[in-house]
Amino acid sequence: MAEGGLTSHRRDPIKSSVGNVAAHRRRQNAVEVGKERRESLVRAKRLCRVSSSCDDSDVCIENDMIIDEEQSILEAQTSSAVEELKSAVSFQGKGAMQKLVGALREMRRLLSKSEFPPVEAAIKAGAIPLLVQCLSFGSPDEQLLEAAWCLTNIAAGKPEETKALLPALPLLIAHLGEKSSSPVAEQCAWALGNVAGEGEELRSVLLCQGALPPLARMMLPNKGSTVRTAAWALSNLIKGPDHKAATELIRVDGVVDAILRHLRKADEELATEVAWVVVYLSALSNVATSMLVKSDVIQLLVQRLASSNSLQLLIPVLRSLGNVIAGDSHTIVAVLLPGCEITDNVIEVLVKCLKSEHRVLKKEAAWVLSNIAAGSVEHKQLIYSSEAAPLLLRLLSTAPFDIRKEVAYVLGNLCVAPTEGDGKPNLISEHLVSLVGRGCLPGFIDLVRSADTEAARLGLQFMELVLRGMPNGEGPKLVEREDGIEAMERFQFHENEDLRNMANGLVDRYFGEDYGLDE
Amino acid sequence: MAMLVDTDTKTELGFPYWKPIRRLFGPESPFFSSGNIERELLAKQVALDLSEEEKHTLQNLVDEGGSREVFCPIVGCGAHLISLEHFEDHYNGRHTASCSVCSRVYPTSRLLSIHVSEAHDSFFKAKVARGYAMYECLVEGCGLKFKNYKGRQQHLVDKHKFPSSFEFFKKAHLSKKARQKQHRKQSIHRSEETSSKMDIEGETIDGLVSAVSKLSTSDSSPPSSISFGRRNTRGLAFVPRAVQREKKAADSVPTGAKQ
Repeated sequence: MAEGGLTSHRRDPIKSSVGNVAAHRRRQNAVEVGKERRESLVRAKRLCRVSSSCDDSDVCIENDMIIDEEQSILEAQTSSAVEELKSAVSFQGKGAMQKLVGALREMRRLLSKSEFPPVEAAIKAGAIPLLVQCLSFGSPDEQLLEAAWCLTNIAAGKPEETKALLPALPLLIAHLGEKSSSPVAEQCAWALGNVAGEGEELRSVLLCQGALPPLARMMLPNKGSTVRTAAWALSNLIKGPDHKAATELIRVDGVVDAILRHLRKADEELATEVAWVVVYLSALSNVATSMLVKSDVIQLLVQRLASSNSLQLLIPVLRSLGNVIAGDSHTIVAVLLPGCEITDNVIEVLVKCLKSEHRVLKKEAAWVLSNIAAGSVEHKQLIYSSEAAPLLLRLLSTAPFDIRKEVAYVLGNLCVAPTEGDGKPNLISEHLVSLVGRGCLPGFIDLVRSADTEAARLGLQFMELVLRGMPNGEGPKLVEREDGIEAMERFQFHENEDLRNMANGLVDRYFGEDYGLDE
Repeated sequence: MAMLVDTDTKTELGFPYWKPIRRLFGPESPFFSSGNIERELLAKQVALDLSEEEKHTLQNLVDEGGSREVFCPIVGCGAHLISLEHFEDHYNGRHTASCSVCSRVYPTSRLLSIHVSEAHDSFFKAKVARGYAMYECLVEGCGLKFKNYKGRQQHLVDKHKFPSSFEFFKKAHLSKKARQKQHRKQSIHRSEETSSKMDIEGETIDGLVSAVSKLSTSDSSPPSSISFGRRNTRGLAFVPRAVQREKKAADSVPTGAKQ
C-alpha cells in the first residue's frame, strides 16, 4: 500500500517522527490493544488510517492513544466538521469543488486519527446522507476517495454504525467499476469489505445489490494493493454461512485462474488474503472445492507451506488444505494416493507444521492428519511410518489440551481400519500394539479425566480398542496399570448418560467378577 | 461419531466403537477461532506498520528530489496528479467513460451505455412510448427490464435492497454559463453526427499538447485510445505517445498499448 510521494516541503516532519522508539511504542500499543480485543468477538473490519496514494497532506503517524478528554474534543470537532461539509455540499459558487474536498478531508482526518474514531458523533450529526451525495456519478476522484475513506472508517465501528452505511452501498458498488480510478475503487472495496464483515444480513444485502462480480474482477490483476484489498473484501463477502456466494464466486470467469496464479506467484501479503478466500470457498462450497481439487491447488498449497515462515500466510494455507481434504472424498481417494509424490509432500509439510512453535499450526495440522488417517489402510501406514508418528506421541503427552485432542484423533484413526457397514470396525493390530508399546495409553486416559465430553469419549473409545485388541489379554492389565479403571469409575454416577454407559459397559465387561481370578 | 446404542442384547456391548471419519468444520466454527484471532490482531498491526514502510518509501521518493506532478489538461478538471502513472489512471477513469452529449461520467461502460440510451437516445424514447420494457435493471446479471424509470427504481428497492433515496439519473444544477455552453455543444453534436472519428481525435490530441502550458482545450471529449509514455518528462512539454507517432513515422510502439 505504500505508493505515492510527497512534495519536498514535507521532508522535515517525516524525519522527526521516524524513530525506533516511537515505532516500538506504537507496536506495543497495537499489541496491547490487540490483547484486550482478544476476548471480544474477532474483528473482521479494518480501519483505514493511511491512504494508498499519498497525494495530499499529513500521514497520521502521531496521536495513536487518545485519552478521554481528547475524545470529547474530537467528538465536538467532528460535529462541526459535519456542519462544514453540509454547507460545502450545497455551495455552488466559485471554488465549490475545492471547498467540498477540503471539508471531506477534514472529516476524514478526524475519522482516521485514533484507534476509536468518533463514528457515533459523525452519524448523529448527519454525515452519512452528505457522504452519499459526495459519491454521485461524475464527482472528481479526490472527492470520491475522501468520501469513501470516511465511510470506510464509519463502517469499521459498531454494528449499528456499519448498518448506517446502507444508503451508500449501491454507489460504493458502482464505483468498483472498471472505469473508476484504482485508488477510488480500492477505497470503495475497503468500505464494502468492512460492511460485509459486519454480519450475514449486510452480506446478503450486498450480494443482492451485485457487489460480488465487480469485486471478483478486481482480484484478477497480478499485483497491487487494489488486488489485495479486493481479495480481503471478497473473503468477508463470501464467508456465509450460506454457501451461495462462495459458489457464485468460483464460477466468475477467470477467478480460478487468478487464485492459482496468486497462490503460485504473489508476494506473501497478497497470497495471504487469497488463501483466506480459498478457506471460505473450500469450507462452504462443494462446487468450489471440487473445482479447486481438480486443478493443482494442493500442490500450490503444499509449496507455500514448505517455503513460508509467515504465520499469517501459513494459517489460511494450512486450513485450505485441511478443508479440501475434509470436504471432498475425491481428494483422498483420487488425488492424494499413497505412494504418490504429492502425498509424501503433504505429509512432509504437515510434519513441518507439527514441529512449529505456533499452537494454531500444530492443532490444525493434526486435524488434517486425522482426516488423512481416516482414509485407506495404505494412508494409515504412510502416516504411521513417517516422521509424524513419534512427533504425535510426544505431543500427546506434552502439548496443550486442544492439540492433544486432535492428536488423539490421528492416533486412534491409525489403529482402526476403514469401516464397512455397521459392524464392529476391525483393528489394525500392528499399529495399535506399537503405539501402545510406545506409551500412548496414559495420554488417552488423561483425556478420559478431562472435563470435555468429546475428549472423554475419545479416551473411552481408545480404551475399548486396547481392551479388545491387545494380544494375549494384555489389554486389561495395561489399562489397570495406568489407573484406567479408576478413571472409568469416575463416570459411574456421571450426569452424562452416554459416557456413563460407555464407562460402565467397559468396566463390567473387562473388569467384572472374573477379573484377576486367573492369576 | 455416535452409533445408536442398543442395550437390550446381553452379549453385545452396545458400545459406540471408534470409527475413523473425516471431520469438516464450518469457517466460523469455534474450532477455528484461535486461528481467526491471529488474523485480525495482525491486521490491526499492519495498519500501523504500513506507516513505517510508507515512511521509508516516502523518504526515498523525497530523496530523489523534485516533484513529478502533472495537471490534468482537460478543461474543467484541474486534477493534480502526482505522477505519470496516476495521470494515466485518472485519465482512464475520468475522461473515457463520459457521456459525449452531457459529459456525465460513469464508473463502468455498462452504466454509461445505460445512461446514454435512457437520456439521449430518441430511438429508446420511441420504444418506451410504444410500451416496450426498455429500462434495464442496474445490477449486473439481473437482466430484468421495465417500462419506465419508476418501475425500475421500485425493482431496485424491492429486489435488490437499494435505498429509496437512490437516484440513477440526477438532474444537474448547472450555472447559467454552463447551461449555455452545454446547449451550444448539444447543437454542434447534432449537426456533426456523421463527422469522422479521426477528426475528433486529431482535434483533441492537439488540444492536449497545448494544454500543458495554456490549460485550455476544445470541448469535445477525447478518444478512448490514448496511452502515455513512461519516461519522466520533467522539464519538457508533456507529449502523449500517440502524438509522437504522428510526428515520427518510424516509431514502432503501437497505439493504446498500456504496459
